[in-house]
Amino acid sequence: MNSKVPLKLTVNGETFDIEVEPRWLLSDVLRHQLGLVGTHVGCEQGACGACTVLIDGKPERSCLTFAIQVEGQQITTVEGLTRGEHLTPLQESFSAHHALQCGYCTPGMLLTATALLEQEPHPTEQRVREAISGNVCRCTGYQFIVDAILAVAGDTKEDVR
Amino acid sequence: MTEQAMRPQFMGARVKRVEDPRLLTGQARYLDDIDLPGMLEIAFVRSPYPSARITGMELNAVKSAAGVRAVLTFEDCPILLWQRDSYQVGQPVLAHNEVRYVGEPVVAVVAEDRYQAEDAAELAVVHYEPLQPVLDMVQAIEELPRRVHSHASNVFYHKEYTTQGFSDAFAQAPRHLAATFRTTRQTAVTLEPRGTAAMPDPASGRMTVYASTQSPHRIRGDLAELLGWPENQVRVIVPEVGGGFGMKANTYPEDVVVVWAARHLGKPVKWVSDRTESLLTDVHARDDIHEVEVAYQDDGRIIAIRDHLMADGGAYPAYPFSGAVGETSLASRVLTGPYQIPYIETVIDCTYSNKTPLGAYRGVWGPIASFVQEGIVDRVARSLSLDPAEVRRINMIRPDQFPFRNAAGMIYDAGSYGESMEEALRLINYKDFRVRQSALRAQGRYRGIGISVFVEPTAMASSEAGSVGYESVFIRVEPTGKVTAAMGLGPTGQGHETTMAQLIADQVGVNLEDVVILHGDTDSAPFGGGTGGSRSGPIGGGAALVAGREMRQRLVKLAAHLLEAAEEDIELGHGQAWVAGVPDRAMTIRQLAEIAYTHVKRIPPGMPIGLELVARYQPEQSVSFSNGTHIAEVEVDPLTGLVQVVNYVVVNDCGRLINPLIVEGQIHGGVAQGIGSAFLESLRYGDDGQLMTTSLSDYLLPEATDVPRITIEHLVTPSAGEGGIKGMGEGSLIGAPAALVGAVSDALAPFHVMVDRLPVTPDDVIEWVTARV
Ligand code: FES
Ligand code: FES
Repeated sequence: MNSKVPLKLTVNGETFDIEVEPRWLLSDVLRHQLGLVGTHVGCEQGACGACTVLIDGKPERSCLTFAIQVEGQQITTVEGLTRGEHLTPLQESFSAHHALQCGYCTPGMLLTATALLEQEPHPTEQRVREAISGNVCRCTGYQFIVDAILAVAGDTKEDVR
Repeated sequence: MTEQAMRPQFMGARVKRVEDPRLLTGQARYLDDIDLPGMLEIAFVRSPYPSARITGMELNAVKSAAGVRAVLTFEDCPILLWQRDSYQVGQPVLAHNEVRYVGEPVVAVVAEDRYQAEDAAELAVVHYEPLQPVLDMVQAIEELPRRVHSHASNVFYHKEYTTQGFSDAFAQAPRHLAATFRTTRQTAVTLEPRGTAAMPDPASGRMTVYASTQSPHRIRGDLAELLGWPENQVRVIVPEVGGGFGMKANTYPEDVVVVWAARHLGKPVKWVSDRTESLLTDVHARDDIHEVEVAYQDDGRIIAIRDHLMADGGAYPAYPFSGAVGETSLASRVLTGPYQIPYIETVIDCTYSNKTPLGAYRGVWGPIASFVQEGIVDRVARSLSLDPAEVRRINMIRPDQFPFRNAAGMIYDAGSYGESMEEALRLINYKDFRVRQSALRAQGRYRGIGISVFVEPTAMASSEAGSVGYESVFIRVEPTGKVTAAMGLGPTGQGHETTMAQLIADQVGVNLEDVVILHGDTDSAPFGGGTGGSRSGPIGGGAALVAGREMRQRLVKLAAHLLEAAEEDIELGHGQAWVAGVPDRAMTIRQLAEIAYTHVKRIPPGMPIGLELVARYQPEQSVSFSNGTHIAEVEVDPLTGLVQVVNYVVVNDCGRLINPLIVEGQIHGGVAQGIGSAFLESLRYGDDGQLMTTSLSDYLLPEATDVPRITIEHLVTPSAGEGGIKGMGEGSLIGAPAALVGAVSDALAPFHVMVDRLPVTPDDVIEWVTARV
C-alpha cells in the first residue's frame, strides 16, 4: 500500500512532477514534498480550517483531500496570493486591522476570504461571518478579521484582486 | 537630565505589527516547518486505560517495521519529571509499570517519517490489567475508591486561611446563603499543536532544541536538569508559536523523550502532536468545585465568604506548574474581587485522579474566581430583590481606599473599579434595559444582562512561566545606528516584536523600523522568565524601557561630549541628537555609533567602547492589578436551550497602553474564549475514565458566528511601575465567563435559574426551564 505513484500537481500556477503514496494527504504533500509550509495543519479532522487551500478557486480542506485526487486541478496556497514584493489589499487590510495574532489560522482565513470576495465582492457582515465560520481562530475573537475583510470589500468596486 | 524621552512617539500608538508580513505571506516558520536533513520522527503508543498495571509488552513487530530506528520504553529513558519531589510524585516520561490516564505516553517509536512511525506504533502490543479509576475529586479526598499513587495521599495540596474575626462576623450577619459552583474541564486548544524537535551538533557536542514554548530559558533549565546535562550544552530555539494561552508553559514528557532520543540516536528528531493527542495530553484546566457560604446584610452588603475550594489535578502535577494549585491558591486570595468583603475563610484541597494533568489555561484561577464572586453578588441581589448593579455599588472598593488590602491579605494598587462599571452600564444602556427586558418577556423572549467586574493580578514574581520576578534586555546600537534588542520572552502571538520595539524606539530616539527585537533563542537572549501570567507587558516592557533609557543616557553623554554641550541640553529623536534650540548642532545616531565603535579615541573618558548593555527590571511592587467590567446581553431560547450573545461591552483598565490595537485584539480573543468557556467547551470523561471529546467536532470552539461585535473603552490608571504599564493578557477571559453566565441567570430569572456551572449547555437550559415551570 505504500508504493508511490507519479502525480502532476499544479500549485500557484506552477506544475510539479512528483511521486506520492496514494494515502498522502494534500496538506502533507504541499508542506513536506513541495515545501509550501504556509498551509497549516491544526486538526487533520476537517474541523479547524487551518489547512484551507483553493482548489479551482473553491476553499477546500487539504487535510481531507488526498493529493492524488486533485491531479489536473488548480491549487492556490497562501504562497500564491502575493505576486512580487507587495502584500495584496486583503493582506494589507489584515495587518492594518490587526486581524492576526499568532498567524496560524491566517493563511486559511486569507484563502477563504479571497474566495468569498471573488464570489461576492460586497458581502454583509453576517455573510462574512458565515463564510469564515469554518475557519477557527483561537486568538483574535474574529472581529478584526471581519473588519479587515469588510474594509477590502468596501474599497473595491467590482474586482477584488 | 532629560531622562524621559520627549513625548513618546510610539508608545500608545496603534502601530501595525512588524510580525505581520511574514505571517500573511506564509513565510513564518512554526515547529512542524523545521525539517533537517536526516530528521527522524516520533509517534507515541499511549495508554488506552485511565488506570491499569502494565503486565507485558510485545514490541518485536514494531522494531522490525519499515523505517523504524528505535523503540523506547521507560527502561531506556528512565526519567521522572518532578525529581525534586515537591509532590512526592514524579511523572515518568514513559509509563513505568502502571498507567494513570488515558493518553499517557507508554512507548516511543522513532522512524524515518511520521507515517512510518504511526504505522509501526499500531503494531505494539501492551498487556494491561485494568484498575479501578479514581474519577471523582470529592471521593478522592477521602482516598476513595483508592489511591492514585499507592505511596501518596490523593490530596497533594491542602491549605487553610481565615481572616481574623471571621467566625463572629459570619455568625452575626443577619442573612446567609449557600451555593456550589462547578467548572468542567477545558483546555487551551492552541491552533498550532504542541511539538518539539532536537538536533545534536556533533561538532560542538551541544544540543539544539526547537520548542513550541512560552518560556525558553525555563525549558532549557528543565531539560538540562532532567537529562543531567550542563545548561550551556543546551540551546533552545523557539520558532513561530501558534498560540500558547498558558498551555505551552509546561515541560512535557514528550519534550524530554524527543531530546533524549536525539542524543542517543545522534540524529535530529521531531515530534508534533496531532489533535487527538492534544486533547488527551495538553494540560487540562478548570476542574474545580467551590462550596460556598455567604453572610450578608439586608442592604446587600456582603460580610463574609467561606469557600471549600477543590481541584482535580489529574494523575500527576504538571511540570513544573500544577494547574490545580494555581487555580485554587490564587483564587482563594482574590475571591472577593473588586468588593470590600471584609472576612474570608478558605480551605483548599487539590487531589490526584486518573485524568490528564491539570495545568494552566489563560486566566488560570481568574475565570473561576470571577464566576464564583459575581455568582455570589447576583445571588445576594436576587435574594433581596435588589438591582444587581446596586449591590455591586454597595460593595465596591472605593477610589479613596487604595492601596487596598483585601480579606486574604492581597494588596491592590489603584484601579477604576466603580468607574469601569458605571461606564460599562452606560455603554450597554442599562437604564433602559429592564424596560426592554420585560417587554420582551411578555412576548416569551428571554433576555438577560450579566455584569462582571474583574480584577487581574499581573506582573507577579511567579506564574506558569516560572518564578522569575524580573526581565532582562540586551540592547545594542549597531555600528550603523540600527538597534537590536534581545529578550527572554516567549511570545505566542502577542506581538512583542512590535510593542517592545515601540518602547525602545521612543527611548533611544530612533524610528520603529530601525529596531529589531530578538527572542526565542537562549544563545542570544539574556536570562528571562518568558511569557505567562500577564507579565510580558509590565515586566518585559519595563525592562525594555530601562534598557532603552540607559542606552539613551550613553548616547546623550557621547553627543554632549562631541557637540560640546551640556548633557541636559541634548535631545534625541528621529535618529538624531541635537542641542536643544540649536538644531544645526546635530549628529545622527549613526554617526555617534560609528564613533563609539571605530573612532574610539573620540569617546569621552570613562565611557565604555561600543554601545551595548544589559538591563534588568524587577518591579518594586510584587503585583499590579488591572481591572475592568464586562457586560453581556444574551437571549436564551428556552425551547432549544441555545444562548445567543447579542451585545457585549468591555471597559478595560490596564494602566498605560503600549499599543491599543494589540490590547483590543487581546480583549476580543479573550471574550471569544470566554464564550467558549461559558457555552461550548467541555472535556467530558465517561464513567469508565475515557475522555470522550477527542476531536474538534466534540470539543467545540467558538466560530465567527458565535461571537458578537464587542464594544471596548479604555480607562487608564497607571501602575507605579515602569511606564505605568499593567498586564492584560488574561483579564478578558477572567471577566467574560462570569458576565455571560450571569446574563443567562438574569434571562432565566422567571424560572428561578441561577447558573452554578461552567459551561452551560443547551441541555442544562432545557432541564432548568422544564423542571421549574
Ligand atoms: S487541519 Fe484541516 S481542517 Fe483542521
Ligand atoms: S491568529 Fe492565532 S489562531 Fe488565528
